[in-house]
Amino acid sequence: MSTGPYGALLDAVRGVRWPAARRVMGATLGAHPSQLRGNSSEFSEFRPYRQGDDPRRVDWRLLARSDRAYVRLTTDRATFRTSMIVDASASMAFPLPALDKWRLARELAVGLAAVAHAEADPVGLAIAGAQTSVLVPRARRSVLLEMMRALDVTVPSGVSVLAPLVTSARAARVVIITDLLGDADELLAAARLRVASRSEVIVVHIVATEELDPPDDALLAVDPEAPAMRRILDHHLRAGYREAFTRWIDETAANVRAAGVRYVRAVTSEPTPHLVRRIAGETARRGA
Amino acid sequence: MTFLAPWALAIGALAAAGMVLLHLVARQRPAAYVLPTTRFIPDQRTLVSRAAARPRDLRLLLLRVSLILAAAAAFARPVLTPSRGDIGRVVLLDRSRAVANAGEAVAAARARAADGAPVAIIAFDSVATLVGDAQWDSLAAVPLSGATGSLSAALVAARRASIALADRVDSVELVVVSPLGAREFDSATAMLRAQWPGAIAFERVALRADSAISWRLERTLAASDPLGPAMVAGRATGTTRITRLVRSAFSSADSTFARDGGTVVRWDTTSAARPLAEGLSVDGRVIVASLGRLPVADGGRVLARWADGSAAAREVRLGTGCLRQVGIAQPAAGDIALHPPFQAMVRVLLAPCGVIVPDVAADSSVAVHLAGATRSAAPATALRRDDDRSSPLARWLLAIAIALALAELIVRARPAADEP
Repeated sequence: MSTGPYGALLDAVRGVRWPAARRVMGATLGAHPSQLRGNSSEFSEFRPYRQGDDPRRVDWRLLARSDRAYVRLTTDRATFRTSMIVDASASMAFPLPALDKWRLARELAVGLAAVAHAEADPVGLAIAGAQTSVLVPRARRSVLLEMMRALDVTVPSGVSVLAPLVTSARAARVVIITDLLGDADELLAAARLRVASRSEVIVVHIVATEELDPPDDALLAVDPEAPAMRRILDHHLRAGYREAFTRWIDETAANVRAAGVRYVRAVTSEPTPHLVRRIAGETARRGA
Repeated sequence: MTFLAPWALAIGALAAAGMVLLHLVARQRPAAYVLPTTRFIPDQRTLVSRAAARPRDLRLLLLRVSLILAAAAAFARPVLTPSRGDIGRVVLLDRSRAVANAGEAVAAARARAADGAPVAIIAFDSVATLVGDAQWDSLAAVPLSGATGSLSAALVAARRASIALADRVDSVELVVVSPLGAREFDSATAMLRAQWPGAIAFERVALRADSAISWRLERTLAASDPLGPAMVAGRATGTTRITRLVRSAFSSADSTFARDGGTVVRWDTTSAARPLAEGLSVDGRVIVASLGRLPVADGGRVLARWADGSAAAREVRLGTGCLRQVGIAQPAAGDIALHPPFQAMVRVLLAPCGVIVPDVAADSSVAVHLAGATRSAAPATALRRDDDRSSPLARWLLAIAIALALAELIVRARPAADEP
């Protein structure tokens, strides 16, 4: 399998585990603790027999020794369907010409998918830009390569609509990689519904360092998604811009967290493997 | 080269300097920069000010400064100045009937123009005509006009001629060759004189006296006759020509008298006509008075007309004399007979056939007033009317300015390299 520019990233995240935040539903044998008990060989505990229990799960040896009926409980493990929703709007094509935001979004999608796929989880992808493309979650070996190809051929442009993709994602874990400069309110409403249905939703907020600290020269800022919006940014207005942008980031993070959605800020200056570990590791701690 | 409106150059220079300053301290739109978070920038300005050591866009600045200077030079109206003489001369030559001897007047004017200085000759009677200085002999040969002279018309023509002359000389002298008859002045003369910015030299020639054709009335008018005061004021001497004044219809004796060379004037004394405010023109004089109209027989030469053009007096030749009928009725009361204009009109209407009532010389104080207090000739700068001068260079400069404006438009319309 040719992984192209993602080879170093995949090597860096190899061995990283990304457990689910809570016990998962599902019967397919996987790596995540399941809400179901009793079918696996991993012993957990004994529980006194109650009427209605399957007699096959009674530990007959313990009954013979203690003359009491106990049921042998085991911990089941299941797979966790994970879907990456990547924002490919024009605002992600920044800064020119390196497109660091889009590069980071692609690498995060591939890196997190690789980590999930290493645990036998089905992974899928949805790209929302001028055109929308969807790969439903699969566990087959070639799914990562398909995701890489889909991301590589995509050029960020137009305006993205993420909320419908969040609603229709066929996965219990939805990772939304976006700069939240599009339909943020609708996106948050859709994510809140997914959380209510016991899905795990993670918003990875992509922020470019150039957005936090624009160039010092006076410039005519042009919004790529609304070219009519043109404003002068010079040293007199820079402080006001930073204050407004920072306040918006903080308010957005607070709103996302208040909706029960996990919020992760990803700045383009942070190495992608580190980000992948941070997302997966924090999840592990939360789930512990 | 001189400029007729040099202030335009100063304004143009100031505007050009201002343009350079604008290019040095310019409010300009900076380079475009795609920034997804543009919405968080306070929406205050779309331009920024930046002071620079060097003016930006030198090509555009050069075009604009050239445009301003070319337009300013055009509005300053440059003219090429020819070589100038010290003094020029405008000679007003009286050709009216007030002049006794045409040759004398022409000789006097010619003497004034003999020094070789640029000269403009204007012959005038009731109208003024500019003539070339090569027509002296023709002027002496042409008989004098029978019209009354008008110094006002002559002064207007002199002012016009001096404008062209002022382009070639530093000062212009105005010479009037005239007997200065009293009738050559009118109410506009003093005002027109005041507009001449220098002294006026008068070459006074002999006034036509007409002593050979003195005349008198056949019978002296009674003291109570309304026409009496006029004839007292203008009482003539000599016995060559006699005018018979009749107060009723012509008789056969009157016809015989006229055939023998006499002049019979019928001027009825009826007071039946209701006096009204009337305007009356007689021999170039106009009077407005309360007068009555009497019917006048058709035919013959009209000597006087009412303001509406109808005849007030007619004359019919008969033999070597003439019969004349006057349809002007004096009011029964009033002092119009004592007014000099009316008396002059009466004398014209009672004068024998073919006799022109001679003018009288103007008072010497009038001539002194016309000459003016200064002795200097009018400076050319005061005579030139720069507004009327044409400047061919201005048209070319305006064309250049328009071409530069088009070039500036094209250069400015080109998109900037940093425009997205």
